[in-house]
Amino acid sequence: MKKLTPEQLTKLFNHLIRNNTNDVLLNELLDHLACEAEEYLWKGYNFDLALEKITQDANAMAVKYLSQTYQHDIAMTDEQLQNASLDDIVFEFRNKAYGAYDLRQSYPFALRSALILGVGLFLMLMAFLSGMAQGSWNFFSTSGAMWMIGLSGVAYAVGTWFFKKSPHNYALPA
Amino acid sequence: MEATSNEFLRGTLKTIVLKLLTEHGRMYGYEITQSVKERTNGEITLTFGALYPVLHKLEQEGFLLTESEEVDGRLRKYYTLTPTGSATAIQKVSEFERFVEAMQILLKPTEGGLSLSPI
Repeated sequence: MKKLTPEQLTKLFNHLIRNNTNDVLLNELLDHLACEAEEYLWKGYNFDLALEKITQDANAMAVKYLSQTYQHDIAMTDEQLQNASLDDIVFEFRNKAYGAYDLRQSYPFALRSALILGVGLFLMLMAFLSGMAQGSWNFFSTSGAMWMIGLSGVAYAVGTWFFKKSPHNYALPA
Repeated sequence: MEATSNEFLRGTLKTIVLKLLTEHGRMYGYEITQSVKERTNGEITLTFGALYPVLHKLEQEGFLLTESEEVDGRLRKYYTLTPTGSATAIQKVSEFERFVEAMQILLKPTEGGLSLSPI
């Protein structure tokens, strides 16, 4: 059985990209077209001719038809839409493994951590400066309380960030 | 046959896919199109545009499981039936068989000679 070279695979891949293939279907269609190409090669065609035949069959029209049928068939049901977040709606049919979906999912957490960390560091700095100015240190003064609140804030932000499970739920299959 | 068969095919595609998976266990997209083509001697050809939406729909409905494997430098997605998928396959096939029987009765010329267009 004749196999396609990586360069030939790239050619097919580029063809699919040029025709706006749906992200979720990309790998599967690539395999499909590659199988077709290998069959042509096996029958004795050369690769360029096989590529021409395949790109004729899988032209922009066919790929568009596929995308439309797909979106119509797989679209979220009303019930799912009720529970879907804006991220889910925006990223429907899109490549969630690319990274943007993960970033958006972890954004509230990152924002909260950054805020607590910032305020905590600020409180600690203020307490430190006022302690320096007074020349003495007492944990039961206002600056002492500020230092402790700031320290616990920083510890909380760093701790939750450290122990949070990996947010990459949509990593590419290895 | 192309355009008309498409119309008939649309409603039966799920049944075809489920039936093939019952027999073969684990298949990928291109394998399914080839299997259909071989068994019908080219009478029915599935285009990728028709096949993949159905496969993904069946997966979404919980009838199929998928696993990706790297083959010759590209990812190949294999489909297998879930237990509910197997049950649905049996049910759909028997429903379709009954439908085909009914269609055959319908298409047979009536014996009273009243038939306008004998086939």
